[in-house]
Amino acid sequence: MRNWRTCIAVLFFWSTVPFYAVPAFANGPLIAAAASIRPALEELSARYNQVTGQSVRLVFGSSGTLANQIANGAPYALFLSANTAYVQWLVDLGFTQGVPVTYASGVLALYSRPGLLVQTENPLLALGYALEGGTIKRLVIANPEYAPYGSAARAALEHAGTWAQAKQVLLVGANAGQAVQYALEGDVDVAFVPMPLARLAELQKTGHLQALPSEAFPNVELDQQMVLLRGADQKTREFFAYLQSIDSREIFSRHGLGAPQVN
Amino acid sequence: MDWNAFNLSLQLAAWTLALLLPIGVVTGRWLAKTQTRARPWLQAFFALPLVLPPTVVGYYLLIFTGTRSPLGELIMSWFGVSLVFSFPGLVVASILVNLPFAILPVQRAFEVVSSELYDAAACCGMTPWQTFTRVEMPLAWPGVLSAAVLTLGHTLGEFGVVLMVGGNIPGETRTLSIAIFDRVQAFDPLAAGQMAGFLLLISLVTVALGYGVLERRERRRRRST
Amino acid sequence: MLSIRIENNTPALKVDFGLPMGTLSAIVGPSGSGKTSVLRAVAGLLAPSHSLISFDNDVWADTETRYFRPAYQRPLGFVTQSFGLFPHLTATENVSAALNHLPRRERGVEAQRFLELVGIGGLADRQPSELSGGQSQRVAMARALARKPRLLLLDEPFSALDHSTRKRLRVELKRLQDALAMTVLFVTHDLDEAAELSQNMVLLRRGQVVQQGPTRELLRRPSTVEAARLMNFANLAKAEWVGSDASGITLRWGDVLLNAEIGPKSPPEGQIYWTIRTSDVFLVKDDHPNESSLGTILSADITEIIEMGSSVLVSVIVARSGGESLRLRLRPGALHRHNVSKGSRIRIALHAQSLVLLQS
Repeated sequence: MRNWRTCIAVLFFWSTVPFYAVPAFANGPLIAAAASIRPALEELSARYNQVTGQSVRLVFGSSGTLANQIANGAPYALFLSANTAYVQWLVDLGFTQGVPVTYASGVLALYSRPGLLVQTENPLLALGYALEGGTIKRLVIANPEYAPYGSAARAALEHAGTWAQAKQVLLVGANAGQAVQYALEGDVDVAFVPMPLARLAELQKTGHLQALPSEAFPNVELDQQMVLLRGADQKTREFFAYLQSIDSREIFSRHGLGAPQVN
Repeated sequence: MDWNAFNLSLQLAAWTLALLLPIGVVTGRWLAKTQTRARPWLQAFFALPLVLPPTVVGYYLLIFTGTRSPLGELIMSWFGVSLVFSFPGLVVASILVNLPFAILPVQRAFEVVSSELYDAAACCGMTPWQTFTRVEMPLAWPGVLSAAVLTLGHTLGEFGVVLMVGGNIPGETRTLSIAIFDRVQAFDPLAAGQMAGFLLLISLVTVALGYGVLERRERRRRRST
Repeated sequence: MLSIRIENNTPALKVDFGLPMGTLSAIVGPSGSGKTSVLRAVAGLLAPSHSLISFDNDVWADTETRYFRPAYQRPLGFVTQSFGLFPHLTATENVSAALNHLPRRERGVEAQRFLELVGIGGLADRQPSELSGGQSQRVAMARALARKPRLLLLDEPFSALDHSTRKRLRVELKRLQDALAMTVLFVTHDLDEAAELSQNMVLLRRGQVVQQGPTRELLRRPSTVEAARLMNFANLAKAEWVGSDASGITLRWGDVLLNAEIGPKSPPEGQIYWTIRTSDVFLVKDDHPNESSLGTILSADITEIIEMGSSVLVSVIVARSGGESLRLRLRPGALHRHNVSKGSRIRIALHAQSLVLLQS
């Protein structure tokens, strides 16, 4: 009877609590970056903070998803992709500022459970044999539609002529990070993963990890490009510059990324 | 433990509740009393978010209110705020997705208030507002409480639509559920598990408290009959 | 006067009548006749497409001027068929709900007063779920009266109650109406109830008024065949007009001539019917001293005798009437005194004052 009034009162009280609760977060510029360079970028931003006292906010996802978000108005200031195609797409749509810069060169690695593949110099060949022999139950790649490492993986399989067979045991991760996760925790036989993430997850301890040369996936490049976006301010530009410094090169390469190929 | 994310989750739940509850009460009550033939269609429409995956809702919100859409541009020019990748956008999305939770229990509760009671109240000289506060609400408030508890619980755990519409922006749209996902992606299962457990506990306690109140009232009612 | 004029499509209604102030009136009719709709229109709970409702020259609804006063602004009390008690409030609180015009402190005292007025002062703190049918009805009554309404509306107030409670409450309603000098309008499908309680009656069928007027008038002199049927007149027969003079009207029924004291001067259009109450048909002993004063005497053969407790229904076929039958209602004693049974030939008397001419 009177209960409902107390009920409403309690609800309203409860609902106003957060408004005088925890104070705001540090507001550095938003950096959108491919999931595959997470460990490298996290170390970089920590270093940046140490050196300059400035902080940035990092958001990770698959490059395609992030590019889409940017096109839909996401308030990111800087975009680090795992390839050039998405960056170019944004440039063409007019969402960028200035010229895109290649900051590193991606490395696609093939992970396999111990003893599954014959040890050869051409791991893709060994993979082909294993697929034909039916010993592979599950093969993971990132989503080729919007994750550069995924499309590189597909290109590699197609080039080796084993895509059709691979499709039958294929497991697709939403982004490169998820692919690594499946490799780590799922019951997975083979995975195509970015080297930096694979190293972070220490996949080399649970199986065989081997980098693939860029010739293995022709027509797909993993030139990691970054570009300033429309909302970029001075702080962003400073971080952008830092990402091209020697410091950054060193950190990138330590995490398993190649130096940027200058054409 | 990402307290910032938890704070965001709480704020989202609070704003959703504050804005959606009045909408739910008004709509639910109207649906209970109306005789229009369109009623089943309207009920189905309001129940849609139950059937649609949250990502679908998020997708359409992105398309129709994103900065590239005419509606998005309008809102930006009027209010200077974007409905995507922002906290206000999350609130809008959350309200839409929680509509069925806010409307359906309220509708059922008001349906129980028979038309005879409305007649009796009017003939006692009660104005429509007095009828609402002294006859309808005392009888229908369990439904309103139910709606509030469900909305609260659901919003705290909401993931799909928040991710689609809000992205994963720390301090802005990275709610607790998103933060958990983020930690998993960062190969930090410990932090993820910690936050997940915390979220579970909070949700459980909130919902249990709500149902506890309802239970008490039901028991008291049954004792008197 | 309570003036009611309503025209509506769904539910179909077309009524136009007035009731004097300060009386107890009944709207009677079979279910579906629209009586509850009329009551709700008077209460302001229904807004017909065309209506003009006024109470003592105070217009409550007038579709011509688009005026409609909502129910809560009309000085009335309403008791619905299932009482409509607020389930979450006690008896006192239910009555207090109608006392918004009083300051909060006085409401409880006043509510108690009304509960005592209807005879349930001791049930003040009970919940509606703890009350019997009769008790609930009284609470609803107290609540309706608490506003000191000038018009009290009751929708089949006693139909949900058992027989003895019904009888008791009817008496109390009469008492209350006398004491509080209100105009009371109640709706019922029970003719006996209406006959017992009301001073005025409105017969309703399929949303239209069949006959209205003082109850005693209606019960004795239905105006049409339809009214007679609604009031359960068992005797209904066709007749032809013969003539009229100072003493009354003469009709031909089969080969028999009948006299009716009251009727039109010239033959009405259409088929004439006549009726007589079953209690107005008398059995005549062969050696009756003053036969001519009893009215028209006819011979008849008994076809059926049904004893129903305090009265006996006798069906007879009247000689030379063309095989038509009549029913008479007798006291059990009278039947045995005349020592007749099925198949006996008897004589019956139809007095000119009791014969009623009907139009179709």
